[in-house]
Amino acid sequence: MARPALRRATRPAEAGRPRLAHLDRDRSLVDAARADPARFDALYRKYVAQVYNYAVYELGDHHEAEDATERTFLSALAALPRFEERARADDGDGASTFRIWLFKIARNVVAERRRRWRRRPEAPLDLATDAPSPRDVESTVLARESAASALRAIDRLSGDRRRAVVLRLVHEMTTAEIAEILGRSDGAVRVLIHRGLRDVARELRSRSPEGRA
Amino acid sequence: MTLGPTARDGEIEALVVDRYLESLLDRDPLDDAAVPSDLRATADRLARGLPRYHPSFRFEEELAARLAAASGRVGRLIEFPIQEARALVAGDERAAPVGPVRPVVIGGMLTSAALSIAGAAYVAWRRGRPPAHAMTRAVRAVARARTS
Repeated sequence: MARPALRRATRPAEAGRPRLAHLDRDRSLVDAARADPARFDALYRKYVAQVYNYAVYELGDHHEAEDATERTFLSALAALPRFEERARADDGDGASTFRIWLFKIARNVVAERRRRWRRRPEAPLDLATDAPSPRDVESTVLARESAASALRAIDRLSGDRRRAVVLRLVHEMTTAEIAEILGRSDGAVRVLIHRGLRDVARELRSRSPEGRA
Repeated sequence: MTLGPTARDGEIEALVVDRYLESLLDRDPLDDAAVPSDLRATADRLARGLPRYHPSFRFEEELAARLAAASGRVGRLIEFPIQEARALVAGDERAAPVGPVRPVVIGGMLTSAALSIAGAAYVAWRRGRPPAHAMTRAVRAVARARTS
């Protein structure tokens, strides 16, 4: 299934011509929440796991991530009347400017917490390996080790490089969506992801038995 | 500004890698020789191996209550997706999510097969607990009579 892309470019022929408003994927939910703020719950349920996941990858701590998630949704609820849907006709059916807007808020909240926190924990990736599994069979251990080494490699990436790779491969966002969230061009995001993958590949190679030999 | 050959080559390579990632995320990876094999292997490993962290059920419900309070309504009944949980617990493949299974971490606990232990425990608790409402008790009694 082809996934939607948000494009920055405007076709010259369409410039200055009034365009039909395009249905954002979340328009009905946003409209309902605007009419009755209690119905914000549907948007919350839809995106809480994504925002929390983003915050864990950024902050490396479940409690910090919960605080960031709470602040993100409370801010979004308060700011919902000011939210502007910006999906365009060529954005595709799956476009959600609400999700991009929400992730921008999350990014700001995380940045603010970082400024106050000043220091990231040394080994946030142990989050995934701390708890003993009730079914510790060999395959589980191997999968866990593989995930842990991938997480360690991701964690070594610099800020936007890590964010771009995580948003692309974990949240499965398009480069255009990531560009909107990070405030960069599509091309710059593609280069960030490419370099991030190269760094991770190098890191994983150096840690493998063959790479160390 | 004119891009030098190195920068332009980098952008083209990034574009090619991005096309591969798009196909990988669509669960139909291209067999593209233009993408270096180590990058393909790394992308595949990250796409499959990076866990998705999920908030704990308790945190999710508490925050839902706080949001409801903030929006002017307190104590709204929140439906639990019990059918989905049952399908996952019972291993019903038709109801299971499509695509590669990623590790899932719920509030700090890593699950082994994208199955929420907290969700399974909640379903078991709900089923084992005598319902408070008389009508619910009656419905369960009828269901038991039909299956026995």
